Amino acid sequence: MQPNPQETLSTQPELTPGDNQKNTSKSPFQLAFRRFLKNKMAVVSLIFLLLIVVICILAPVFTDQDPELTDLFKIEQGPTDEHILGTNGTGQDNFSRLLYGGRISLLVGFSAMFFTLTIGILLGSLAGYYGGKVDSIIMRAADIMLMLPFLVLTLTIIAILEKITIPIFVTIIAVTSWPNLTRIIRGTYLSLREQEFVLGARAIGASDFRIILKHFIPNAIGPIIVNATLMMATYIIIESALSFIGFGIPQPTPTWGNMLSEAMNVRILRDHPEAWIPPGIAIFVTVLAINFIGDGLRDAFDPKSKQR
Amino acid sequence: MYKYIIRRILVFIPMLFALTVIVFGLAQAAPGDALTGQQLADPRVDPEVYEKQREALGLNDPIPVQYAKWISNVAQGDFGKSLVFNGRSVADLIEARFANTLYLGIFSLFITIVVAIPIGIYSARKPYSLLDYAATGFGFLGLAIPNFFFGLIAIYVLSINLGWFPAQGTLSGPGMAGFEAFFSRLHHMVLPGITLGLAGTATYMRYMRSEVLDVLGSDYIRTAKAKGMSDSNVLYKHTLRNALIPIITLMGFEIGVLLSGAVITEQVFQYPGLGTLFISSVTNRDFPVVMAITLILGILILIGNLLADIFYSIVDPRIRYD
Amino acid sequence: MIKRSKFSLAILMLVLVLGVFLAACGGDSDDNNDNNNNDDQTNDQTNDNNDDNSNDSTNDEGNDNDSASGEPQMGGKLVGAMDTAPAGVFNPIFYEEAYEANILDFTHEGLLSQDDTLQFGPGLAHDWDINEDNTEITLYLEEGVKWHDGEDFTADDVVFTYRSIASPGYIEAGGVRTEYVDKLVGYEDFVNGDTDEFEGVVAEDELTVTFKFAQPNVTILKDVAFPIIPEHVFADVPIGEMPEHPGTLDAGEVIGTGPFMFTEMLEREQYVLEKNPDYWQGEPYLDSITWRIVEGSVMLGLLENGEIDFIADPNGVAAQDYESVAGLDHIKIHEQADFGYQLMGFIHNHRTAEDAESGTINPDNWVPNEDMGDPLVRQAIAWTIDRQAIVDQLLLGHGSVINAPIAQQFWAYDESAATLYEKDLDKAAELLDEAGYVDADGDGYRDTPDGEEWVVNLNYPTGNELRERSAPILAQMIEEAGIQVDLRQPKEMTAYVEDLTNNTGDWDIYLLGWSLGSGDPDPSGLWRSQDAYNFGRWNNPDSDQLIADAITPPDAFEQSYREEVYSEWQGYFSEDLPALLLYAQNKIYGFNERLNGVNPMPYGFNNDPHLWWVSE
Repeated sequence: MQPNPQETLSTQPELTPGDNQKNTSKSPFQLAFRRFLKNKMAVVSLIFLLLIVVICILAPVFTDQDPELTDLFKIEQGPTDEHILGTNGTGQDNFSRLLYGGRISLLVGFSAMFFTLTIGILLGSLAGYYGGKVDSIIMRAADIMLMLPFLVLTLTIIAILEKITIPIFVTIIAVTSWPNLTRIIRGTYLSLREQEFVLGARAIGASDFRIILKHFIPNAIGPIIVNATLMMATYIIIESALSFIGFGIPQPTPTWGNMLSEAMNVRILRDHPEAWIPPGIAIFVTVLAINFIGDGLRDAFDPKSKQR
Repeated sequence: MYKYIIRRILVFIPMLFALTVIVFGLAQAAPGDALTGQQLADPRVDPEVYEKQREALGLNDPIPVQYAKWISNVAQGDFGKSLVFNGRSVADLIEARFANTLYLGIFSLFITIVVAIPIGIYSARKPYSLLDYAATGFGFLGLAIPNFFFGLIAIYVLSINLGWFPAQGTLSGPGMAGFEAFFSRLHHMVLPGITLGLAGTATYMRYMRSEVLDVLGSDYIRTAKAKGMSDSNVLYKHTLRNALIPIITLMGFEIGVLLSGAVITEQVFQYPGLGTLFISSVTNRDFPVVMAITLILGILILIGNLLADIFYSIVDPRIRYD
Repeated sequence: MIKRSKFSLAILMLVLVLGVFLAACGGDSDDNNDNNNNDDQTNDQTNDNNDDNSNDSTNDEGNDNDSASGEPQMGGKLVGAMDTAPAGVFNPIFYEEAYEANILDFTHEGLLSQDDTLQFGPGLAHDWDINEDNTEITLYLEEGVKWHDGEDFTADDVVFTYRSIASPGYIEAGGVRTEYVDKLVGYEDFVNGDTDEFEGVVAEDELTVTFKFAQPNVTILKDVAFPIIPEHVFADVPIGEMPEHPGTLDAGEVIGTGPFMFTEMLEREQYVLEKNPDYWQGEPYLDSITWRIVEGSVMLGLLENGEIDFIADPNGVAAQDYESVAGLDHIKIHEQADFGYQLMGFIHNHRTAEDAESGTINPDNWVPNEDMGDPLVRQAIAWTIDRQAIVDQLLLGHGSVINAPIAQQFWAYDESAATLYEKDLDKAAELLDEAGYVDADGDGYRDTPDGEEWVVNLNYPTGNELRERSAPILAQMIEEAGIQVDLRQPKEMTAYVEDLTNNTGDWDIYLLGWSLGSGDPDPSGLWRSQDAYNFGRWNNPDSDQLIADAITPPDAFEQSYREEVYSEWQGYFSEDLPALLLYAQNKIYGFNERLNGVNPMPYGFNNDPHLWWVSE
């Protein structure tokens, strides 16, 4: 369940259509992959991100503390050998919360991205492929969603919910932020729709589903991957921001955002920087790495953009 | 043009209507109401008192009836009374906060523009220079750092440890007037303003750089240069004009982002604006206030979009709406 | 039928009605001595676990106070800080929050005020007579008292104030203080609009006013102590418009009789009180007091560098900050127990869905809560909790374990009658074994007597940082006795109260806190079986009877009788355990040593501000 862009990339070439591609020995994905590998910043970021993911997944290897175990006799302690980042207001170990919290933050970011992607591909495909009424309904809905104050909606929904679990939280984010990706996918489709290979496929009686699957998605996959990657970074920030203001995944489940929210208490902000700076840095470097990867992917899939 | 604007405004109305229906519906779906929470504050008050108040406030009416009442009052310019701030009218509560949020937004936008545009231009004219690299690096950092984390660090370093800036509030004292009040306000706005403007600055800087590069590479600029126009002439007469179009459009569309950012930023700095009011109202189920703020933010975003379109047509005469 | 809570004055209310009481005290230095003694008492009573710490510091402070106090000086400005802005309703009959009280304490006064033993003494009334059967009280008002705008204060203002609270439309306009008027003669007829005459409060002449109660009234003094608002400002204002009237909302327009006038505000940031030079008890020493709204982040820093002079009600200095404040040479600390407590409640019974829907509270319809309905189980759980450790670690010693649901400051508090629960896992195990809860399937957790899996769920609301922190700790303590606990996700208070009130679900344990009034210890409203706030749906006829006896005349006119009854009741409470009371927090006031003449009362800091003065 952890994000792994490389895997996504390497599994795609099977789907690549041959119709309109020049007869080179390499598929566009292999080309893109090569170009990506040449981008040092992106590759380093990818390795770095994988490292973060692995550390969070293997949290039990790196710490033997239980992130949810409270200890009345160790409240708000500074760093010790046992608790290298000290403890929080209920005596929970900050370091283990950082690692286990990373799991949740990354999981939320990834699943929200995945969920939005599903909605986006579905609606974007429908709109872009069929056009006409379907298109105008979906796009009008997207326009409305884009113009609504996103945060207002999200906060209102979260405020009235009795229970906020990870799936519910992810759903809320996805449902309120699908339009962007949908637009992008639709745009790609529109440009593909009138191209010869699609017309050809239609002429020989290929089913809609087959055309979408065989021709559209592979051709739109570049921008989709790039945007999905960048979107995941955004979702990680959104999760942390909402948790920070108390509208996210609630305690005692650790997330980077709700660890940071402890810094709303000035005493912790002032006296225990070791408690709130690490989760902040964690979000920061993760998002930075994902952004670099996203940029790398963009350059890789769309070499023209590099010339700017 | 006017026709276009009127048509756009007419389209707003159903959108705002949809927005209020959604938020109102959500609000009513919530368990408990504003009085449920207050009730416990003072066990000496008979719960029947609150039941009577509920009845008087119409909180027991069916939801469509409540909505109809609300919307007809709003149509007459009456946002109703706050349920939590006993007896305060919503308009009265929002007035001061709205101004604060507006000042903050304008201040941060000002910082953004003053920093982002010149640096963006410079980067584009001297690509791969030291400043260009620094700017690009800053762009990446500014987009990756969550603004509330940046705000916390700013408070920690600049306010708590160095004591240079106040960490909260808008003014040092009541009864301040004129320049003194203005500078006090400014001083208080520095940290939240920079925090709020950070992501925007990074975005605009990147945009500006690539737009200017784009325009500089285009045929007509090359022609102009070939005809012997001076560099600065080319830059100001042709390049900027064209490069600014997307920036202005972006600004209009980014109003929503700015306002969302303001909600979080205000919370970090406990800045008395619409964002902090919204969060406390939504938590306390003070839905008349929530609805009013929703409506205001919705309208602002729509206006931002509209203005973007209009500016677009002014800056670029090729674009015509009718 | 829900009965009205007779818990007397809200803390806030009481704070308001302070003011006078000068007559009873001698000079200033006597005041200070009294103060020291009181401090000792309060601390002995409430802080026995924390002797070295707070007691010492309070004593030091007292001594300093003596040595520092020279002659009071005129002039000077004072700055106080609170962490949340008042909602902005500066009218005693409509405001609801402690933050507004911080303004109204200085501007408005009642006929009577409470002293440091919580007895009522003179205020705007210097004397009073109560008739034989406690149905009538006649009060004689101070002469020459003027409102801030120069008008005379008269008995008509008193009548107007009570009449406003009793008038039809008061509740609908947002008022909640009807407990002060609903015992008065003719209230029902007046509030229903059947008559325009309100017979309950009558002005005999300019300076004499009589309150007439329908029944003998045990809490008669408390009921006449409400802060008075000016008739000449509000006379022509319909009650429904009073909350929006400038005289309620705007600085400069809010008129009281108090020692300070509310003259200026920068909403949500600063609130300025200027002295009332014509104050009837003498001109205040201070020129002005400014409240600044400051987030906790900067409060201590400002106290340290002298930008603010005091941090007092409602939240005071956080326990975690005690050491840093105590370390400041120029800051004095006054620590005292708060009125109120946090509790861990047990759901004895559930309500049916129909009852919840219709709002009926009828013990006959209640459905006993399996497992938690067994007193042995409740007691066993109570024996798993280390309350002292919670006070020591979570509150850092700045609080006390409380054993009965009556504020410790009251004469009625008597823990000798109660079971003093502490952490004793053997006892808990014994009780659980006796009740048949043993680990039948060997999974390490006890199961129900029927051999089924037993999970106790613990619910808690957000909104109080210490309480939120205590929840997982309590859950862990209970688990140590082999009881499986499902710690539920915290809910935001509104949703929480809704669920708690309906109580149709599967809740077992709930966390909650009550802040009590300092007027009277009567616990009705919270713990009688038909009380709405008896969230655990505790149904104990004996307890109901005792609570009723304690306020039934004529016996209840004798405080000693009430003491006895309450003592017995506290015993019932701790045996039957509708809730395990956890702790009462301490309030920690911190103020700059240049501030002299402060004399905090058990219920608040803002006492006799006209006697405050600053030394430079």
